Amino acid sequence: MTPLQSLRAEWTKFRTVRGWMVGTVAAALMIVLFALLTGASSDQKGAPPVPVGPGGEPVTDSFYFVHRPLAGNGSVSVSVSALDSRVPEGPGVVPWAKAGLIIKQSTRQGSPYAAVMVTGGHGVRMQDGFVHDTAGPRGPVRRLRLDRAGDTVTGYASADGSTWTKVGTARVRGLGATAQIGLFVASPPVVDGGGTAGSVSTAVFEDLRGHGTGDWTGEQVGAESPSFAGYPDNTSGSYTGTDARLTVTGAGDIAPAVGDSLPTGGHLRDILTGTFAALIAVIVVGALFVTAEYRHRMIRLTLAASPGRGRMLVAKAVVLWVVTFAAGLAGTAVAAPLGERLARDHGVYMFPVSSSTELRVALGTAALLATASVLALAVGAILRNSAAAVTAVIAAIVLPYALIAVPFMPAGVSKGVATVTPGAAFAVQQTLVPYDQVASNYTPYYGYYPLAPWAGLAVLAGYAVVSLVLAAVLLNRRDA
Amino acid sequence: MSPLQTANAPGIVVAGLRKRYRAAPALDGMSFTVRPGVVTGFLGPNGAGKSTTMRVILGLDAVEEGSALINGRPYRRLRRPLTHVGALLDASALHPGRSGRGHLLWLAHSQGLDARRVDQVIEQVGLATAARRKAGGYSLGMRQRLGIAAALLGDPPIVMLDEPFNGMDPDGIIWLRGFLRSLATQGRAVLVSSHLMSEMQDTADHLVVAGHGRAIADAAMADLIAAASRDRVVLRTTAGADATSVLIRAGATVAATGRDTVTVSGLPANRIVALLNAGAVPFSEVSAHRATLEDVYLELTREAVEFHAATPGAPR
Amino acid sequence: MRLALHAEWTKIRTVAGPLWLLLGTVAATVAFGAVATSVVTDPGDPTKVALVGADVGQAPVAVLAVLLIGGEYGSGTVRTTLTAVPRRAVVLTAKAVTLSGLVAVAGTAAVLGSLVAGRFNLPDPASLADGPTLRASAGTVLYLVLIALLGLGVATAVRDSATGIGIVLALLYIVPIVSQTIGDPHWQHLLQHIAPMTAGLAVQSTTDPPMNPWAGLAVTAGWAAAALLTGGLLLHARDA
Repeated sequence: MTPLQSLRAEWTKFRTVRGWMVGTVAAALMIVLFALLTGASSDQKGAPPVPVGPGGEPVTDSFYFVHRPLAGNGSVSVSVSALDSRVPEGPGVVPWAKAGLIIKQSTRQGSPYAAVMVTGGHGVRMQDGFVHDTAGPRGPVRRLRLDRAGDTVTGYASADGSTWTKVGTARVRGLGATAQIGLFVASPPVVDGGGTAGSVSTAVFEDLRGHGTGDWTGEQVGAESPSFAGYPDNTSGSYTGTDARLTVTGAGDIAPAVGDSLPTGGHLRDILTGTFAALIAVIVVGALFVTAEYRHRMIRLTLAASPGRGRMLVAKAVVLWVVTFAAGLAGTAVAAPLGERLARDHGVYMFPVSSSTELRVALGTAALLATASVLALAVGAILRNSAAAVTAVIAAIVLPYALIAVPFMPAGVSKGVATVTPGAAFAVQQTLVPYDQVASNYTPYYGYYPLAPWAGLAVLAGYAVVSLVLAAVLLNRRDA
Repeated sequence: MSPLQTANAPGIVVAGLRKRYRAAPALDGMSFTVRPGVVTGFLGPNGAGKSTTMRVILGLDAVEEGSALINGRPYRRLRRPLTHVGALLDASALHPGRSGRGHLLWLAHSQGLDARRVDQVIEQVGLATAARRKAGGYSLGMRQRLGIAAALLGDPPIVMLDEPFNGMDPDGIIWLRGFLRSLATQGRAVLVSSHLMSEMQDTADHLVVAGHGRAIADAAMADLIAAASRDRVVLRTTAGADATSVLIRAGATVAATGRDTVTVSGLPANRIVALLNAGAVPFSEVSAHRATLEDVYLELTREAVEFHAATPGAPR
Repeated sequence: MRLALHAEWTKIRTVAGPLWLLLGTVAATVAFGAVATSVVTDPGDPTKVALVGADVGQAPVAVLAVLLIGGEYGSGTVRTTLTAVPRRAVVLTAKAVTLSGLVAVAGTAAVLGSLVAGRFNLPDPASLADGPTLRASAGTVLYLVLIALLGLGVATAVRDSATGIGIVLALLYIVPIVSQTIGDPHWQHLLQHIAPMTAGLAVQSTTDPPMNPWAGLAVTAGWAAAALLTGGLLLHARDA
């Protein structure tokens, strides 16, 4: 038998067993079915809109803002003499609590801004456009300054009030002729166990000097926002004092939204939740594809027709992989757009996904299913018992999936599981981006995997290949 | 036999079984009787309905019409059925991780029998040395012996074995032949299916031949052989063509059956000799034909094996 | 019936698999529960945390249940079984009774072991003397028995071990995973109230059960009954 003939023989075997075709088609249908269920079952009509930054990404733009208009160019400077954070029943430090100077087009959420600030645990930072973050000078900093010249905003820091060090320069488009300039305090939720706890921070500003006209106005920007968890009980935003000494209390953040700061946001991964059901189906089919030969003692006939035992196994694996990949891709290609559309129709904000990412998720999910079924095939050839093979492979892939779906699973365990088990391959479905300047649970539960998408798939592929090699060795060594 | 006698008859009475798999009829009026004290052979080509009939007798498969009775009762109504019928259907149907003795033990417990009976049948089929090993490692012959032991477990008056000679070594075949004979001698009704003609000819007293889902023969072995041998003569000659033309002209039917033998029917032996002598056709031997079971079988199933020539579902 | 039970018991004890699977159930339940009680920082419901191992321990139970009949179809011994005991309802009942008894014993061991582990790990452990804890413990044993019956029913219907295991594990684990992604709380509750695992394990809650504990277990019982009935009817109607 030539390799091509082996492939053809295995394909004929596969397609002539109705149950296997049914199982493979069922896997594709499961993906579609669960996408429809997930899409149709969500209902967020009437929820406040998710603020979106200049790049189209969802953001958190909720903070306490003490501002006044600034026409044209100008500058403002202040000393931050204290920044205290409080977390009810939680750790006392909020590393990304922010207090400082900001210039922003308006108090509308998502509008362009640039800010220089001191933080709870990350020193002085210059930030703009929600995603850009620059670290400032190390060492003690007393005073901050923000200059606007056209579209260019520059942040400075100083230890003594006379020597200024530039923290960063930002080109901010769309600030407008008259922007709002002033002080801000933000205090994002802190990571607490597997979840987050709301926080509130109070800053004391002294010696506020600079341009701008009119009285200071204090208000909470983005008080009603899906990406803002609100103030802890019995606290609220406020400001008191004069330019010489102002005390500002605030909560929230000015940052890109992540999985747990925008809990109502839908991900592509959620739409493809049927992958789990499909996995079980393809694992059963993969295991039966080889164990059926042992059960009906057809293996002798197969090996007589194709004495190269390794080749037989490879031919089976190739056929199974291709068939499952095709079914998985068909299922994903239908399910993803359909589910996303249904969810959007029900008012769900979907985390934006570029078309190249969407393609990667579709191909990756199909490859995940195909590789898992080949793993089941290999384990089936090793164990020669379909029940044992199915149990083992489900335990190896689905159990990790179940474990990382537990929200209170410690992050270390969860990440470990998603790194070393075949379940690492679910990384192909990650569409969310983690940010250094946002403290969050970047755990699989919230849609963040420790490995890069293809690296995760490679882990599963590694298991499949090693099992396949072991199966081939055993097949050659054992009597048929 | 009157219907009343049939209903109470000891042994197996199969009457008018009809069953379809999808559109194709699997059983199409199968009827026969298996009587005590006799080994009944069950012959037929693949797909003729032998295994289906056996499964119907054991209540495993349902039929659309007809009945199969064990000592006058349907199998599913028997209490402790293995004390009425012992059967071997598929010797490979064993849990590979269970010992042969364990297999017999659960069967015994299902009939209210104890471990002593298990050890007796193990001894009886000569499996004592392997009985405590896992059945997954048994050879086909050992599995057959274990299956036969299972069939004997309830000391049943009826024993039914599907292809018991399969996979047996020559010693096993000789043992089984004698064993089946002894079961019949003890007064049991024995039904044996096999495709090994010579084994069947040496073992069975009575023959049921299945074809197209029916019993196309149900008769004593001796009668069938005699009928198939009837008025046929084997002629050994080196001039086959000449002999054939001479004999056909005289009204005989002639068939070449070997390199230098022809079988003649329709003419007695002395007439054949006279005709050949008159025609100066040389020959070395003229003898009455003694049919084998193979001849009987081939003659009976000729129509049956040519199933491709018949239109399915056409009136017969 | 007595004879059929004796035969089923002999079948189970003459192979090694069931014993290992039952031991696996106990080990998985106790081990997973012990890990959970030792890592959890704030056990709001100590009984539930201690018994969380049943989430994993039910898998070997389901596998055992499926293999009990699926294995017979795989090897072909189901025909021998039905020849020995021609009344098929009796065969299925005998298997169900034997299985229930074994799982009840293993389940009790698993639950008691988990509670003992919880006693060592939790600052404020649960005691069997509390009514709710007793209910959660007995309910968990009952839950495992029902999962076994569900597996038996499914495997009888599909006549294949691998397919049966796939279906049962999917039935069990799919809703806990999928309901994470269901946005609407109404749907989420509905799914959790009708799925065999989430509904049945509500019986483990001692503080704030998501639904009436016994009603939840009744849902699981409904699944098991439906599966057994389907399997039984198919077993009765089909050729073996």
